[in-house]
Amino acid sequence: MPLNWPSNRLLGLLPILALLALWQAIVSAGIYPPVLLPSPAKVAGAFIQWGPVIAANALASLGRVALGVSLAFLVGVPAGLLIGRYPVLDRLADWSIQTFRSVPPISLIPLAMLFFGIDDTPAVVLIFLSALWPLLLNTIFGVRGIERTLLKVAAAARAPEGLVLRDIVLPAALPAILTGLRLAIGGGWLTVVTAEMIAVKSGLGYMILNAQMTFRTELIFAGIIVIGAIGLLGDQAVRLLRTRICRWQEGLLAA
Amino acid sequence: MTAAPAFIECIGIGKTYAARTGPVEAMRGVSLSCAEGEFVCLLGLSGCGKSTLLQMVAGLEPPTTGQIIVAGRELDGPSPATSIVFQDHGLFPWMTVQRNVEFNMRARGIPRADRRARAAEMLALTGLQAFATRYPHELSGGMRQRVGIARALTTRPRALLMDEPFGALDAQTRGTMQAELLQIWAQQRTTVLFVTHSIDEAIFLADRVLVFTPRPGRLAADVPVPMPRPRDPRSPGSRAVAAQLRAALGADAGSE
Repeated sequence: MPLNWPSNRLLGLLPILALLALWQAIVSAGIYPPVLLPSPAKVAGAFIQWGPVIAANALASLGRVALGVSLAFLVGVPAGLLIGRYPVLDRLADWSIQTFRSVPPISLIPLAMLFFGIDDTPAVVLIFLSALWPLLLNTIFGVRGIERTLLKVAAAARAPEGLVLRDIVLPAALPAILTGLRLAIGGGWLTVVTAEMIAVKSGLGYMILNAQMTFRTELIFAGIIVIGAIGLLGDQAVRLLRTRICRWQEGLLAA
Repeated sequence: MTAAPAFIECIGIGKTYAARTGPVEAMRGVSLSCAEGEFVCLLGLSGCGKSTLLQMVAGLEPPTTGQIIVAGRELDGPSPATSIVFQDHGLFPWMTVQRNVEFNMRARGIPRADRRARAAEMLALTGLQAFATRYPHELSGGMRQRVGIARALTTRPRALLMDEPFGALDAQTRGTMQAELLQIWAQQRTTVLFVTHSIDEAIFLADRVLVFTPRPGRLAADVPVPMPRPRDPRSPGSRAVAAQLRAALGADAGSE
């Protein structure tokens, strides 16, 4: 039974508000000492007190994710288009892709630090790796799903390969590519926080770890909230992009 | 009619597919020819290979045996002298009607201004002027197929290959489209090779009907339709041809 409230979209706020209430209840009950579990009000205060610090670290993390995901997009999408279009390349690449995508990027942190030191570089490399596979695999998947008649139309018109890739293969795969981008941004965001806890000296991950060492639990909570909020915003942004770009899909998706 | 030189000629066409259970013979020894300007229907039940044959004439699939000659040249791929129209339209959902109609011309590297002019001409011919900026999903089935026909005609093909183009339309739209196709054919003087499983459609459209039977696909009969157009399906002439076609298709075939 679908609910037809006018505020249907705001329904997503309900669990978050419930969690906030539960949090306040636990704090009020005094189950944990305040130094471990700060009250929501204290965390809100941390946002004010540490605002510029949080913003600077969030920007540092965002910059790394933007760079890593962009690089992954520039490599993964063209490679996926070609692998999806040419069976020879698929046979060539399939085992390698399946092997390397099974390696969690986090497990590569030690190697990344040995090769690239403690800096932006190891973090960006790891984000690139965690974003590459969803983009590559979804692009390949999207290309494979092309309606066969469309390729026959192109073949019958003796369309040059460049035109086929740009005007048929790419737009047909675009919805799947954007799904890949959503997963890539999500994966990149997970990776950046972890990488910053180990291999970088700035960013939200570093800020949280640093706050733990100095017993500022309210800053840890603030950092976690920012990480979650940015994750939500990123996801919504790509969804919006998808409905924008793939407007031609309306009516095709109804069934 | 048979005196005219053949524009499309198939000689001893056979097609065998490799299936999991071994090779499957889909077509055997099909020879036919089609004169320039002629409207020929390929009629048969599903599985008789009529669509496969059309795809082979379009150069999309090679025959296993035999040869196909279009416009005096043996095929080794799609011929620039033919255009194909598919049952499921084959329209690009992300392109407007205008861009869909221009696609075959872009594939040939025809300059933009010439594309625009020719597309406008074909949109007018098919009654689509008002829909140039629409997307395929905004159009009805009949309108979509008009776009498919307009696109096919832009390159001035000498032969139009049509694979059950009206098969997915309702009866009324289908009748309208058939009449429009005959008008376009009369005006453009192209050769038409038209695949259908409908006896009525074949009689309404064709100069000549080639009847195929399945397992393996074979040419069973070559039936001329002599009545002048427009044809009335209830006329004695139509009924006589229908009886001939039904007999050639086999006892189990109804008229629709």
